[in-house]
Amino acid sequence: MITAKRVLYVLGIVALILGLYGFYSRLFIGERDVNYGSYVTWGLWVAMYLFFAGIASGSFVIATLEYLFEIPLFKGTGKLALWAAMVTLPAALISIGMDLGHLERIWKVYLQPNPTSLLAQMVWGYTLFGGVILLSLWLVARHGHRSTFAVKALMMVGFVMAIFVSGGVGALLGVNASRAIWHVGLLPAQFPIFSLATGVALMLTIISFFGTMEDAIRVRLQRVLSIGMIVLLLVKTYLLWSDFSMSLYSGVPQNVDAINAVMYGDYWWSFWILQIVLGTILPIIVLIMPNWSKNRLLAGLTGIVILVGFAAARANIVFPALSIPELEGMAEAFSGPHLNFDYFPSLMEWSLTIGVVGLATLAYLIGIDRLPFLKQTPSEVTQ
Amino acid sequence: MSDKETVKQEADLTRRNFLKGLMGAAGAATALAAYETLVNNPEGLLAQEDVASPGTVTALSSADDGQVDILERMRAELSQALQKPVADRRWVMVIDLRKCVGCHACTIGCVAENKLPPGVVYRPVLEEEWGTYPNVGRRFIPRPCMQCDNPPCTPVCPVNATFKNAEGIVEVDYDQCIGCRACLTACPYGARTSDFGLTYTEGLPVADGLIAGRLNAEGYERAANFEYGEARARQGRESPIGNARKCHFCLHRIHVGELPACVTTCIGRATLFGDANDPDSLVSEMIAQPNMMRLKEELGTSPRVYYLV
Repeated sequence: MITAKRVLYVLGIVALILGLYGFYSRLFIGERDVNYGSYVTWGLWVAMYLFFAGIASGSFVIATLEYLFEIPLFKGTGKLALWAAMVTLPAALISIGMDLGHLERIWKVYLQPNPTSLLAQMVWGYTLFGGVILLSLWLVARHGHRSTFAVKALMMVGFVMAIFVSGGVGALLGVNASRAIWHVGLLPAQFPIFSLATGVALMLTIISFFGTMEDAIRVRLQRVLSIGMIVLLLVKTYLLWSDFSMSLYSGVPQNVDAINAVMYGDYWWSFWILQIVLGTILPIIVLIMPNWSKNRLLAGLTGIVILVGFAAARANIVFPALSIPELEGMAEAFSGPHLNFDYFPSLMEWSLTIGVVGLATLAYLIGIDRLPFLKQTPSEVTQ
Repeated sequence: MSDKETVKQEADLTRRNFLKGLMGAAGAATALAAYETLVNNPEGLLAQEDVASPGTVTALSSADDGQVDILERMRAELSQALQKPVADRRWVMVIDLRKCVGCHACTIGCVAENKLPPGVVYRPVLEEEWGTYPNVGRRFIPRPCMQCDNPPCTPVCPVNATFKNAEGIVEVDYDQCIGCRACLTACPYGARTSDFGLTYTEGLPVADGLIAGRLNAEGYERAANFEYGEARARQGRESPIGNARKCHFCLHRIHVGELPACVTTCIGRATLFGDANDPDSLVSEMIAQPNMMRLKEELGTSPRVYYLV
């Protein structure tokens, strides 16, 4: 699949170039040109932070299949998954960092933190998690596929951290009691499942496009990942159904308004087309067919489409909850820039996000092409 | 500008100065009269409760009848409260919705006092309409920060940049805030806004003139406000740009014995302010009325802003 890699290189470079405007605008001008504001407080960058951080957690969990649980089929995939986590975690942190009004004060979270703040806990959590990923990669680079005690211990810590940080993100939203649609006990429990699903989707793409193992093993891996993906998509759909039906049935206005905004609002297409049709139904149809799920191109593309669906899902969790005024009449009470309940990302927000996607894509490709320990040889994966 | 025009302008200025002086003298005389009333007839400070409508304080507009504006009473009570230790004060605001006419003077007064930039507002006035013609109703609901006793906005801050001070006012430490907007998200009243660094005058043409023109106006916009008792100008991308901002009951005014800007600018005397720990204060009387309510009490936030309905 050299063609796929070349195409992704080109797309990555194009995305990075498109992102230069966003980075320039954010770093040298500030947040003046963003469309999020004081009412829709968190926008595209926060959604992308949830998305990338979820992939990082999910990818790490997949790495544990080789290094902690020692499942033979996954031999040789651990380092690819770890590298995916290593690349997507910074992408998440760049996305959320750009969202901060005073990024230069981030050190305060380390030296003057409020320990009871979930946000502070997340910053600490991601720092530790990033450290665990880095250390794991270093050990893997030194010891190859031998699961030493140190690797296993790190994997155990990392596994717990992956659950903690992805669940913590759900809690970060869920603790806001005034946002009825978020304030459900199950939200933090759902996020690790979402994270694992995105990790599996990315791994499906990576194995399908870049897997250098023997065809028979690759096909088995694709099949196993496909079945896992179908299960996770069904669980995710069930959780979505559970959330929406409960809220609609109970009829709490703020809840119902938020769900109606997702399903029938201005951006209904993001829910129905990106999240449900492209991100859920189509992949299930493709992956359930044995021949299709074993096809490299089809399975690889399906992984990407699922990721797009999950990105839309993250956006649909964040924006609509914030688009419902806390008090009736707030939208009209005082008008001005950044005082709007209708949110669609600005050009600069899109640009920066595209740039981050490009950066992560290129970093991943360069890593698997240039870093010696990431290069796969057919012999090592079939041992 | 021709000589003739210059002379005319100078003459206008002279007339304006004369009128200003006259008004100043009249104001001083009124203040003197009020002061004499305060000294000679302290009971007169106490505005009478309206017997016909409980929970309503009649606003008194002159000292002629021996009674003074409730603003004077609140100011006197404020001075009294400032004599107490900080922790013994309990600042509350009472807003009588039956008196609010929706003029938005409080909003504008607040914007001017705190030099708020575009997109930042501390006290919008919400408008609500209900019913079907001919049975329709309309009311105006000013919404400052509720200064909750159990604020959801403070525990979410990752760096303790927002906190409840000893007087119970929820403050923002601009130099500590990292601009994550978690507090904005957590506030159930939407009472916080973020400063995105905009000014009203940018993009306007530069013009000559006494007060018109971008350069002069920009100077005003960039001049320091005195929030939290600190002269802080909005420059470049420095704080408060990039920070969460919110109503603080005009702490900087309170500490020098002045009522919050929204209280003094309210033309209907619908907004009252004072120390609820003083059982004789106007606000203490008002919050004991049966027609008192608070917004979203069910969330357990214990707001310090009370509404009379």
